[in-house]
Amino acid sequence: MNHLQRVFSFAAALCVSFLMANNPAWAERPTVSMPLSQKLFFENHCVHCHNEDYPGGEVRLDNIAFSIDTIAKAELWQKVLNALNSGEMPPEGEAEPSDQEKTEFLDYLSNTMVTARAKLSDQGGVITMRRLNRREYANTIKELLGVEVDVTGLPSDEGSGTFDTVGSSLFFSSDQFEQYLEVAQVALDRATVEGEKPKFYKVHTEAEIQANRWVKKQLRERLLKDYKAARSWMAQKELPPKAFGLLDENDVKFRLRRWEEEGPMHGQYLALPHSDTGAYLTIYSPYKEHKVSIYPKIPNGKYRIRLQVARVEDAPLDQSFVEAGYSSNGGKTFNIIESFQVTGTFKKPQIVELTVEVTSKDDRTISFRQKQQNNKSAFFEYYRDEVRRNGVGPDPYIWIDWTEWEGPVLEQWPPMTHQNLFFRGKKAKFTDDYAKDIIARFAERAFRGQEPTEAYLDRLFSLYQSQKKLGADFHEAVKLPLSVILASPSFLYLVEPIEEFADYDQQPETVAGVNSEGQKNPTRELSSIELANRLSYFLWSSPPDAELLDLAKTGQLNDPVILSEQVDRMLFDPKSKEFIEGFFKQWLHMERLEFFQFNPDLYWKFDDTMKNAAREEVFQTVDLLIKDDLSVGNLLKADFVVINNLLADFYGLEQAKENTFRKVQVPPDSPRGGLLGMAAILAMGSDGERTSPVERGAFVLRKMLHDPPPPAPPNVPQLNRLAGQLHSSRTLLSAHQEEAQCAQCHRKIDPIGFGLENFNAVGQWRETETAELRRGRRVVRKKEFDIDPSGTLPNGTKFDDYFEMREAIAQETDAFTRGLVEALLEYSLGRPFGFSDEELAEQLVADAQSNEYGFRSLIHSIVRTEAFQLKK
Amino acid sequence: MMPSRRGFLRAAGTVVALPLLESLGMHRTAAAALAPVAARPKRMIFLSFGWGVTRESWFPKRGEVGENYTLPLGLKPLERHKQDLTIIQGLANTFSNEAHWGSTFYLTGANRYAEPGQNFSNSISADQVAAQVFGQNTRFTSLQLSCRKAEDSGHGPGLSLSWDGRGKPMAGMENPVQLYHKLFSETKTPLEERQAMLDQKKSVLDTVLADAKGVKRGLNYRDTQKLDEYYQSIRDIEVRLSKEEQWLTVPKKQPSKPVKLPNGELEGYEEIKLMYDLMVAALETDATRVLTYRQPVDTLLQSIGTNMTAHNMSHYSPGPRMDVSQARDENQSKLLAHLLDRLKAIKEPDGSSLYDHTAISYGSNINSLHYLSNCPTVLTGGGAGINHGRHLVMKEEKTPLCNLWLSMLQGVGLPVQSHGDSTGIIPELFA
Repeated sequence: MNHLQRVFSFAAALCVSFLMANNPAWAERPTVSMPLSQKLFFENHCVHCHNEDYPGGEVRLDNIAFSIDTIAKAELWQKVLNALNSGEMPPEGEAEPSDQEKTEFLDYLSNTMVTARAKLSDQGGVITMRRLNRREYANTIKELLGVEVDVTGLPSDEGSGTFDTVGSSLFFSSDQFEQYLEVAQVALDRATVEGEKPKFYKVHTEAEIQANRWVKKQLRERLLKDYKAARSWMAQKELPPKAFGLLDENDVKFRLRRWEEEGPMHGQYLALPHSDTGAYLTIYSPYKEHKVSIYPKIPNGKYRIRLQVARVEDAPLDQSFVEAGYSSNGGKTFNIIESFQVTGTFKKPQIVELTVEVTSKDDRTISFRQKQQNNKSAFFEYYRDEVRRNGVGPDPYIWIDWTEWEGPVLEQWPPMTHQNLFFRGKKAKFTDDYAKDIIARFAERAFRGQEPTEAYLDRLFSLYQSQKKLGADFHEAVKLPLSVILASPSFLYLVEPIEEFADYDQQPETVAGVNSEGQKNPTRELSSIELANRLSYFLWSSPPDAELLDLAKTGQLNDPVILSEQVDRMLFDPKSKEFIEGFFKQWLHMERLEFFQFNPDLYWKFDDTMKNAAREEVFQTVDLLIKDDLSVGNLLKADFVVINNLLADFYGLEQAKENTFRKVQVPPDSPRGGLLGMAAILAMGSDGERTSPVERGAFVLRKMLHDPPPPAPPNVPQLNRLAGQLHSSRTLLSAHQEEAQCAQCHRKIDPIGFGLENFNAVGQWRETETAELRRGRRVVRKKEFDIDPSGTLPNGTKFDDYFEMREAIAQETDAFTRGLVEALLEYSLGRPFGFSDEELAEQLVADAQSNEYGFRSLIHSIVRTEAFQLKK
Repeated sequence: MMPSRRGFLRAAGTVVALPLLESLGMHRTAAAALAPVAARPKRMIFLSFGWGVTRESWFPKRGEVGENYTLPLGLKPLERHKQDLTIIQGLANTFSNEAHWGSTFYLTGANRYAEPGQNFSNSISADQVAAQVFGQNTRFTSLQLSCRKAEDSGHGPGLSLSWDGRGKPMAGMENPVQLYHKLFSETKTPLEERQAMLDQKKSVLDTVLADAKGVKRGLNYRDTQKLDEYYQSIRDIEVRLSKEEQWLTVPKKQPSKPVKLPNGELEGYEEIKLMYDLMVAALETDATRVLTYRQPVDTLLQSIGTNMTAHNMSHYSPGPRMDVSQARDENQSKLLAHLLDRLKAIKEPDGSSLYDHTAISYGSNINSLHYLSNCPTVLTGGGAGINHGRHLVMKEEKTPLCNLWLSMLQGVGLPVQSHGDSTGIIPELFA
């Protein structure tokens, strides 16, 4: 156990005794106990009622066991914890324990419960056979068939409190089987073709045609016509508004106001320089989106879209971005395909190109708009402000000269995806033998090196035959067995049988990995094919490629030198992004970024494009640490950041020519560098409006200091004493110190959050905090507070400000590495980190130390462990 | 106190002369009253919303128990059905500790830590207990409805409210259009072809089982258990296919008042309303007798004109968030009132209404914020013989929610002795 844990964690104070029972199952298994020192609390406050003679008698605590080694005992202790947390016990009229006493007791108990639960659900290092999770399934289909499919209909496999690679949490339901078949059929349809090569289309359009036609039409047929009608009604007195095509007097007012608000902008739009040769994008009215539509009746497939764009010279950086996406709901829903920075000028416009996959009649219109919030009312406010300012409206900054689309883009005919399945080419005879070969070949590939059985192949073949009998043509008939392969267990599960123990007695387990006879699960080395699979789903979330599989088949992969070369090759392959995203999104709980909606009135800049960039910063930073084998400690504090131009603007750092992510050095007094300075991490520690020092503090304890507080208990009375009043976050949270139930954890959590209060809800630096009282969108009252970032870390280190706190946290690389190691083991082995892994984790941290905590070295160390190369 | 009319119905067995009921205050047409009543099938509906309610304005005053209570703000839209509601306070799932899991254990009462060596386990949900009996004679054994992005609506892990006999999640239909087609669309495919397709599906299952057999060889105990999930789901499909075969020649019944399908996608308020209409239509046509619905909350908020996410709202304190939270309560109650209107409007052959034979529960595992005790609970419908029109406060503050499910199951006539962590029924319901 490292230094930090000893100081920080109460887990260290738990009595973890190693009871050597007669039952071999319990050997080496620590028993979790409440410390006997807390017995006094019981004696003083519980036992005189909760005993044998107690009238209700159902909860007896006089004989409660302090070691928590069964689920029943854990439940009794959970009851005690819940009753204290909710304030239900001790009952009124009984002597209340002192705050200090209660806080201490609760602290011990809630932490002991976490350890006890972990112990009771410990799998003892046994890896449960796992199914491909949703991400892996999609990636595997992509590798096999060369097409992407929509898998959102399948259960996401995340959110069970562990990684989506942990087999015991991956279930299988009957509906799922049918969904797999359906997805496979869609994928196979997409991968195969019929008939002759389709015609290639290329359509070039001058942007102003669409734009000017639209704006003129709006101006004449909507705004001006309505305005004139309204004026005509006002010019007379006899006739009602209806006679002029207007609803009522309110409608008259509305149309007059709309003319005032939107008329000038429409007029000016058509008069802007270059509007005769291109289309400006405006943030609100009159021209928000420029659309490119691919013809509806031509085949699905890949299409390239190009556009020539420029920006107005004085365009602010964050207004020089264009979002390409699918727009629906009048722009309220905008699914971004890609965002890009416009750097071209009128003199020297820039050409942007993107490729889209068209899969139906419904996804053929791609919209382009200036980067913005998906919240209509928000930019309406902005629009009005600008109208008030200059009488016209916001200046447009982006200009599109022309657009172009072409496709379907095909390298060859039939495409590779088709030829990979129907491998004998165009001239092949469609015989039953050919069908047999296609099926066998595909089954072998889909099973990642495992041999399909003859019986199975025969069944598949008869599916083909019966399809033919039903009148299907050759291609259609073959596709059925192929889709069935993609819903078969050998494809869906990462199978690691223990062949040599084939007659191993199938006794139920009493403890994970040990059966009722006391026999331990046999352990064996992975075959090289299994190793290839484990490796590839760890580092790519995808199946092994040909090179890896070949090395496995020839047995070379078991050679440590070759294995190490392969790990490097895989980490430098773009597919390693699947690991980085899959792991870090879940480990850091980055779904929180989607949990809350950021109030656009307060954080106008923090729109989807910005959020995507912020998220990407985390992944790009990790990617750099891996590739350059830099210390994982850089996630605690670093003298560089990995950012694009949008983030540079957000952080007030230097711009580069290209908007790509790059390493940028930051001075020592910059708050950036390391997770704590990242917008994504800080925004996750907010509720979309105000910062949440609690979330931020808990994040630091959980992820950076590896000293996780127990989960937030239910039923703790909410502190509303200060609600509805204007206070700083720090004052609001001071209430946490008033109740023992809160103080037990919050005394450690909150101060760290206070240290981060110089960052607002989206991670921008601030010196003061503004508290607002709102009614609807309207701010009723407002107050500014100076920020007091001082506090104490759980280990007693005092800090005056963020910089001192970051410095103190940066000293804890070992603790951080330990947390990372545990999570990586869980993710890569597909099983919870267990008590039996203690030594393994210590060894890995020691290895990391000797490698200067290099991230790539760490991954190598994990792959080299016995745990990674054994089936248990 | 009024005698329990529906409790009486249940006790009296299958044939009851209605004039007797007339004297107990039932309003039925004379014609219907004179006809003897063949027992109508019982139905069950379980509704749940994540994130709970606004605790300050949803619960009736604790002092006002029995018949004389005022419907609070959050339940006000149900005023016209007040006589047919039972509101219960003091129920909770004993083992619940997850403050963001509004539906995972709602109908099961399971302890997530019950299985050694697992950090998650669940058990059968109440609706599935009923489906085993009530589902035998209908086209669909049970129907599970859910919503898109259920995690945003505070429902927690799971695919619907329903968990099967092994405690595994059961998929829910997330789209009313999908449900509509399942219930009422007839395929134009000729019968022989459909029979052939069914046979084809069976051969597909045989094929994957052939592979499973190969995989099973040499697996250790734990992996075998895992593969069993696969086997079991194939068996489930086999059962469903043989049922499909039975119903192959039976045309789908259409409801008396056809449900109008919208052109575009509906979200939130209108989506829930449509789901409710389809549920009523499903019961009317006897397509199924057991339904669960895990309702959307997040999109409901969007559809009633707020820009707040449901999770933001759930962490309310006085101010805009509490306003939205209360608007949510009100709209949900409006929708429930609509469901009851519809159920009451559908007449059964004996002159009673669908409402009279349906047992309905409506609530959440979360009270509000992070509170898991006093789960908001409304019971309605005549199916379980509950004596409605009252506000009940349990003497025991943490009476297991499973006592309620057990009461409902027994109330509809199922010989179930216990469910989840039940300690018995709630006798007050029938008093």
